[in-house]
Amino acid sequence: MMKNHDLEDVLRDALRHEVAQELPQIGALEERVVEMLGDRSPRRGLIDHMRQMIAPTRGGRLGQMVVVGATAAAFLMVGLFLSDRGLPLADPSVGASGLATRSNQEVLFVVPAPEAVSVAVVGDFSNWEAVPLADDNSDGIWTASIPLSPGRYEYAFLIDGLWRGQDLLADEHVENYGQFTSVRYVSGGDGA
Amino acid sequence: MYLWILDLLADVRTSGPVGSSWLEVTDVNHETTSGKPCILDTEEATSRVYRRQDEVTLLRASLDGETAAWGEIVTRYKDAVFGLCLGFLRNRADAEDIAQDAFVRAYVNLRRYNLEKKFSTWLFTIAANLCRNRLRYRRNHPVVEPPDSIPGGGDPAVTIAREDRQAKIKAALSRLPYSYRAPLVLRFYNDLPYRDIGDILGIPEGTVKTRIHRGKALLKDLMEQGSDS
Repeated sequence: MMKNHDLEDVLRDALRHEVAQELPQIGALEERVVEMLGDRSPRRGLIDHMRQMIAPTRGGRLGQMVVVGATAAAFLMVGLFLSDRGLPLADPSVGASGLATRSNQEVLFVVPAPEAVSVAVVGDFSNWEAVPLADDNSDGIWTASIPLSPGRYEYAFLIDGLWRGQDLLADEHVENYGQFTSVRYVSGGDGA
Repeated sequence: MYLWILDLLADVRTSGPVGSSWLEVTDVNHETTSGKPCILDTEEATSRVYRRQDEVTLLRASLDGETAAWGEIVTRYKDAVFGLCLGFLRNRADAEDIAQDAFVRAYVNLRRYNLEKKFSTWLFTIAANLCRNRLRYRRNHPVVEPPDSIPGGGDPAVTIAREDRQAKIKAALSRLPYSYRAPLVLRFYNDLPYRDIGDILGIPEGTVKTRIHRGKALLKDLMEQGSDS
């Protein structure tokens, strides 16, 4: 009969042994990755363009301050604007499940899951990384608001780690790798 | 949006200690050159320089489109990422595929990485999600060859108890459900704490502990079943 720590040791050894055996056979992974990337750069975002515009060629400190300051000011203004409008997060027009688009492309994900311990959304917008939903008032309705630029997005919910690909309010459902995912089209402008 | 801001703030914070400022990278002679990390004649020389850089510097250079810096990141993490994929998928060809894909996707989406978090956790999360997709695909598109293509113990004549147990545990691991196998691999191959495992798999820390505990019990059962037959 194998003891618990014995099992751990054997498992550890087995996994290491396996990698030591298989890794040399796959050749130079780094070379292939670099080759595949070619001249590609990581995708650029708005902030990067701002940086390039503002940052001087030498002594970028001032540029950093300006960007941080401008961003903070922008956030403050958005915050004031939203609080003036009476917190749109509590908008009753949002359905019981699914997500609703806003004019500023802030996309709200809503999942009713009273029994759940954790709810997250994964999607191509997050590189299929889990973005947690919150249920701050413990009413069983989990929400997360994610800013998205106009486009087509595939996503699914993870409720206690289990895949739930068919959001009721999605624009369509597609089968990916044999499992459903939801699709939402985020439009530009006000016509969400 | 907030990720960009955190990234930006982290930029400001880390630019001091790293010794470089604002999208500039220090070269070996501690001279900064805007835009380009360093001006050297050959690729070989460049990669030699990168070998001596710390991770943040490498990531910053990668953000500037220096794929050679990313190559060094791949070198540093390939054992961990390939091992994770191999442990999860139990198949070398798939593991190779997914590990490569994970590094490519991580590079393309590098701006989504929040510098306040551990880079390894972010990278492992991408790999784990890709593995999950691949397994889901495999379940729905079964191949003719058996999925367990990792050779168990090799030569059957070799019956040293240790290798025998290793072979048994490998076979048992392949039969273990993914939801138990994944946390076991992250724990005992990648040596990660429960919290990081939870972050990577998108499950609470308590669930990780339960799954590791039950996973070990199941693994033991499977090993004993294996030796009966």
